[in-house]
Amino acid sequence: MGALPKVFAQNQLRRSPIYRLTQAAGAFCEVINSGAVPMHYGNSDSELDRARRMAIADLSGLPRTGFKGTGTVDWLAGQGLTIGPDSNMAYRQDGGALAARLAPTEIFLIDGLEATGALIDRLNGAWNWGTEKPRKLIGYPMPRQDSHAWFMITGDAAPDMFAKICGVDLRPHKFAPGRIAQTSLAKMSGIVIRDDRGAIPAFHLLADVASAEYLWGAVLDAMSEFGGAPVGLQALRRLGEVPS
Amino acid sequence: MNAPVSYGGMNRLPNRGQFIDRSKPVTFSFEGAFVEGYEGDTIASALAANGQWIVSRSFKYHRPRGVLTMVGQDANTLVQVAEEPNCLADKRKIAPGLVVEGQNYFGSFESDSGRFVEWVSKFLPVGFYYKTFHEKRASWKFWEPIVRKMAGLGKIDPHAHHGYYDKQYLFADVAVIGGGPAGMAAAIEAAKAGGEVILIDENPKLGGCLNYARFDESGEAACKAEGDLLNAVQAASNIRVMTDAVVSGLFADNWIPVIRGNRFYKLRAKAVVVATGSIEQPAVFRNNDLPGIMLGSAAQRLIHFYGVRPGKKAVILTANDDGYAQAIDLLKIGAEVAAVVDLREVPPVTPLSFAVRKASIPVLAGHAIQEAYHHNKEHVVGVAVAPIVAEGQLGDPTASYDCDLVCMSVGYSPAAHLLLQAGAKFAYSTETAMFHPAQIPAGLYAAGSVGGVFDLDRVRADGARAGWAAAKQAGLSVGAEPVTPGDTQDRNQTHPWPIFPHAKGGEFVDFDEDLKYADLINGIADGFDNVELLKRYSTVGMGPSQGKHSAVAAVRIVARETGRDLATLTVTTQRPPYTPEKFGHLAGRIFDPERRTAMHHRHLELGAQMMPAGIWWRPAYYGPKAEREKAIREEVLAVRNNVGLIDVSTLGGLDVRGPDAAEFLNRMYTFTYAKLAIGKSRYVLMTDQAGVITDDGVACRFSEEHFYVTATTSGVDAVYRSMLQWNAQWRLDVDVANVTAAYAGVNIAGPKSRAVLQKVCTDIDLSSEAFPYLGVRMGTVAGIPARLLRVGFVGELGYEIHVPYGFGEALWDALMEAGAGDNIRPFGVEAQRVLRLEKGHIIVSQDTDGLTNVWEADMPWALAKTKPFFVGGRSTQIMAKMPLIRKLVGFTLDDPSLPCPEECHLVIRQGEIVGRVTSAVRSPNLGKVVGLAYVHPDDAEPDAKIAIKVDGGRMIEARVVALPFYDSAAKRQEM
Repeated sequence: MGALPKVFAQNQLRRSPIYRLTQAAGAFCEVINSGAVPMHYGNSDSELDRARRMAIADLSGLPRTGFKGTGTVDWLAGQGLTIGPDSNMAYRQDGGALAARLAPTEIFLIDGLEATGALIDRLNGAWNWGTEKPRKLIGYPMPRQDSHAWFMITGDAAPDMFAKICGVDLRPHKFAPGRIAQTSLAKMSGIVIRDDRGAIPAFHLLADVASAEYLWGAVLDAMSEFGGAPVGLQALRRLGEVPS
Repeated sequence: MNAPVSYGGMNRLPNRGQFIDRSKPVTFSFEGAFVEGYEGDTIASALAANGQWIVSRSFKYHRPRGVLTMVGQDANTLVQVAEEPNCLADKRKIAPGLVVEGQNYFGSFESDSGRFVEWVSKFLPVGFYYKTFHEKRASWKFWEPIVRKMAGLGKIDPHAHHGYYDKQYLFADVAVIGGGPAGMAAAIEAAKAGGEVILIDENPKLGGCLNYARFDESGEAACKAEGDLLNAVQAASNIRVMTDAVVSGLFADNWIPVIRGNRFYKLRAKAVVVATGSIEQPAVFRNNDLPGIMLGSAAQRLIHFYGVRPGKKAVILTANDDGYAQAIDLLKIGAEVAAVVDLREVPPVTPLSFAVRKASIPVLAGHAIQEAYHHNKEHVVGVAVAPIVAEGQLGDPTASYDCDLVCMSVGYSPAAHLLLQAGAKFAYSTETAMFHPAQIPAGLYAAGSVGGVFDLDRVRADGARAGWAAAKQAGLSVGAEPVTPGDTQDRNQTHPWPIFPHAKGGEFVDFDEDLKYADLINGIADGFDNVELLKRYSTVGMGPSQGKHSAVAAVRIVARETGRDLATLTVTTQRPPYTPEKFGHLAGRIFDPERRTAMHHRHLELGAQMMPAGIWWRPAYYGPKAEREKAIREEVLAVRNNVGLIDVSTLGGLDVRGPDAAEFLNRMYTFTYAKLAIGKSRYVLMTDQAGVITDDGVACRFSEEHFYVTATTSGVDAVYRSMLQWNAQWRLDVDVANVTAAYAGVNIAGPKSRAVLQKVCTDIDLSSEAFPYLGVRMGTVAGIPARLLRVGFVGELGYEIHVPYGFGEALWDALMEAGAGDNIRPFGVEAQRVLRLEKGHIIVSQDTDGLTNVWEADMPWALAKTKPFFVGGRSTQIMAKMPLIRKLVGFTLDDPSLPCPEECHLVIRQGEIVGRVTSAVRSPNLGKVVGLAYVHPDDAEPDAKIAIKVDGGRMIEARVVALPFYDSAAKRQEM
C-alpha cells in the first residue's frame, strides 16, 4: 500500500455527504474530482478480505452525471455510448463507466472505479442548448453528481444484507449482472445496480444525497451480523483484479 | 432473591430428550428460587423436571395451571420473564440467569389470595359486562377499581430497554409450512422440480409428530420415516430449512410473516403448502384444568423432547390409537398406567391397543372421566370413571384411580388457522367429527393432518401430492404426478362428543378465560345462540390461545343447544397472528429516514437548535435553549441592520425545461410567465382544481427554455407529482426534474449582504443596476458554480445562492469567512419567520389551510388577468362571485401590555368564531405585536377592531392594519 498524503475532506471544495463518518472511521483519502475519496482505512489486505465477505465503500466523490428527456439516448449514442434497449439495465462503456438506463429516456451515468472522469466530463461539456430552430431534442442534463450519494456494497453476504433493508430479491441467481432495481431501501428510495468485482457480488447503491448519513448507518447496521465494515476504493479496485 | 434452592431433577429421564444437551447445565430462577435445567430445556420442561408443575395461574379464577400442550398453543404457561410479560413457558428456552415469575396472582405464587374470585363466581355470570354495565350506570363506580385491578396479564415495565429487533425478506418458489412428515414429503417432492423450497417449522428440529408420537409398538415406524425424510431433505440442496420459526399469518399473494428469535422475516412464495398438522383437543370434565392433566401429546413431548417424566402413575383418557401409544410410552419409561379409559363403546383392536391389553393394563371402553380429584387444587391425585350412557351423559362412577397424571387423547382439530386466514373454507364432517378443508384458494395446498390425514403412509403420500402441485403452481418443471393417497379422511381419530358436564360444574371448556360448560349454556340461553355472538358475549376463544382448544367444543355445544346441524356451522373467524407476537417484531429495526442539508454539521458546530421540517432538519435558532428569545431577536436585528446567512437548502427546486416550459408554468401557476425576461424571476402561486392555494415560490428564467422553480420545503414533492400528472394529460414538450436535494442553498440577507458577497463573487456584477431585485444570474461564488436569485422573502437586500450539494458546506464556509469582518450572523427558521411576517409575506400551509383561496388570502395581485387557463382558474373565477366568509389581514395590538396571541387563537365576532390567528410575533424591529389572522370580511379594512381569544379565555382587542408592517415602500429589498 503506497502512503497517501494527508488529505482532509473539509479542505476540498466538493465534499462527500458522509465525509465525517468515513474520516471518523480512519479513512485515508485521495483527491478525485475535486473531492476527497476514501482509498483505504489503514490495512488494504484486510479490507480486501472484508470486501469479499461484506463491505461498503463511499464512492460519492467519484464522477457521475445523468441525462433525461426526449432524445437522450440518441444523443448519447451519437456521443459514442453503447446503450442497450432495455430499461433497468446498466451498460458498460469503453473506459469502464456504466450507463444505467433507468427509463427509456433516462440515463444515470457512473464512472468506472478508475474514476478518470473522462467520459463524464466530455458529456457534460458536450451538452448545450444549441442554436438551431426548432432546437434538436437531445434531452437535458441531470445533476446526478449531487442528487445522489454513491455507495458500493460488496461481498458474498451482500444479498443477505440487502434482504434486511430491501424487498427486491438481489441474490446472484435472481438478479443478473447489470440489472437495476429502483426500489425502497431502509424506507427510502434508491437505485441498486449489480456490478460484480471479479467473482464477488457487488452492487452500486445510489440514493438521496441528503439522507446519505442515515443510509450509511442503516447499511452498516444491517451488515454488522456479517462482519461488514467500510473499505476504501483501493480494496474495490483490487477486488476486480485479484482472483477470489 | 431467596437462597439458592435447587428443584433437583427428580423427573429427568435417562437416555431421552432430543432437544436438550445434558453436557450444558443451565441455572435460572423461578419465583425467586434457583432451578437447574439443561440447554435446550424450555422453562416449563425444566420446572417439570424439578417437580414444579404449577407454572402460572388462570386469568379469572386464579386457578393453578400447569403444562397442557408443551407446544405453546395454550395460555396455561404464560409467565413473566424479567420485564417481558406473557412468555410461553413451554416454548421459551431457558438461559443462564433468566428471571422467571408466574403471573396473575395476588400475594404469593403458591398462596394466591386472588383465588377468592372463584368463591364469588356466582356473582360473575357469563356476560358479566353486558349485564352489569347495561343501564346500571352507577355500577361502574363500584366495579371499576375491581375490574382494573383484576384485568390484564403480566406486568409491563415502562422503563424496559428497547430491544433490538429487525426484519428480513425471504424468497422462495414453494414455501412449506410445517416440518412434520407431510411437510417434509411436500418439500422433498417440490424440490425435485428444481425450484427454491423453504421448509419452516416452529420446533428446534424437523420431524413434527415423528419426534414424539408412536405409530407402532416398537416405535420403529416413526424412526424410519423420520430418518428417510430427514436424509432426503438434507440431500436436497434447494431446500432451505428454518426451524424455531413460527409462521404467524398467511396473507394475500402468499405473503408469509415468519418469526424467528428477534427477527421478523417477510417471505413471498409462488406457492404454499400448509402442513401445520392438527391440534389435540382436551376433554371437558370436572376439574379438567388441574396441573397434571395434560394432552397426551404433551406428555409425549415431555418424554421425548426433554427427557422429563410427566408422572409416575397415569390414567389415559382416549378415543383413538394415540392414547394406547401414550400408554406404551409411559410403560417404557417405567411409569405405571392405572387405566386406559376409552370413550368408544367398541374400540377397534389394533396392534397398539393389543399391546396395551397384553401389558395387563385395564381398558375401560365406553367410559369417561367423571371428575378429577386434587390436593388443594395444586395437582391431580385421582379420577372417578363412569360409563357413558348417552352423548355427554355419564352413569354412576364405576371405578376410581389414584394418579398424578391424566393424559387426554380424545381427538384433534386441524391447525387450520393459516388456511382460514388465507380464505380457505372448512366444513365439519360428522363422519370424522372434525373440520375438513372444503375450499382452498389457488396457490395454497393443505397436506397431512391439517387436511384430516393421520395414517403415516398416507400422510407422506399426501405431502408429496401437495408438494408436486405447489411446484407446478410455481411454474416449475414437474415430473409425473405422485400417487395420491386415496381416501384422505381418517376415522377413529376424534370423538364427536368428549364433553361431560358434572352436577357440581367445574368442567372447563376454555382454559384461557376460565369458561365452564355452564357458562356457554347460560350464554346461549341468554340469546347469544350464534357462535360468533356467543364468542363475544362469553369471551370463549378470545384469550391468548384464540380458541385453539375451545372453539370446536363451543361449536358442538351451540349446535346441540340450538338443535342445529353441526355440518352447517363453522368455527369463528381466524385472524392473525397464529401465536402471540411482539410489538418489537412488528416494529423491527424502525427505519426512520431523515434528510440533512450539506451545512447540517456546521449548524450543530455553531450551536444551532435543530427543528424538523418534514424529514429535513433545519436550524431553528443558534444558541442555548434558555436564550431562545434573545437569540431570535439578535438574529432578526442582524439581518435588518447588518448581514445574516440562512440555510435554505430544504426549499424545493424544480428544473422545468423544454420548448413549452413557459406555457407549462402558465398552466400550473396563477401568474403569467411567457413574457418573463431571461435573467428575471417572478412569484409563483399554485392552486388546485378547487382553487385552494397549495404552494408558492419563485420561477427563475435562466434561458428561453429553462425555468428554475422553487417550492416550499413540505410542498415540493406534491408539486412535482402534480406537474407530472398534469403534463401526462397536456403532453407539452417539457421536462420536469425535482432537483431539491441536488442543490444546497443559502440566503445572505441584510444591508451588508452585497458587500460580503462581492468578496467571493467576482464574475457577476452585483450592483443594483446590473443585478436588480428579482434578477437571477449564473456565475461562481468562491469558485463554486452557483445560481443566484435576488429575492426578498425577509424584506432586505439579499441573494439566494444555490450550488450543487457537494459544494454546500464549502459555500457556507466561504461566506462565513467573507462576512467575518462584518460580523455576519447565521440565522434560523424562527428569525426568518419574524422577518417575513414583518413584511407581511405568507407561508403556505401556515397562513393558509385546506380551504384558503386567492380571495381569502387577499392575493388577487397574483392572478394573471389575461391568460385563458391555469389549474384552479375556473374555480377561482367562480369564487370571485361568491361572498367571502373570511379574509386574511394583518393586525397589531395597540396596547403593549397585551399578550402576543398564538397561532390558532380564535377571532370572535359577536360571540361567533369568524377566524383565527395564523401567525403573530412581537417584532423586535417595530417594538409591537404584529400578526396575520382570518377575520370577518366586514372587519378586513385597516383600523377595524377585532377580538382575539387568547390563553385562559381572555379576550383582547387588536387592530387591522395594512400590509406590510415593515418597509411598505419596499425600498430595502431593492437596494
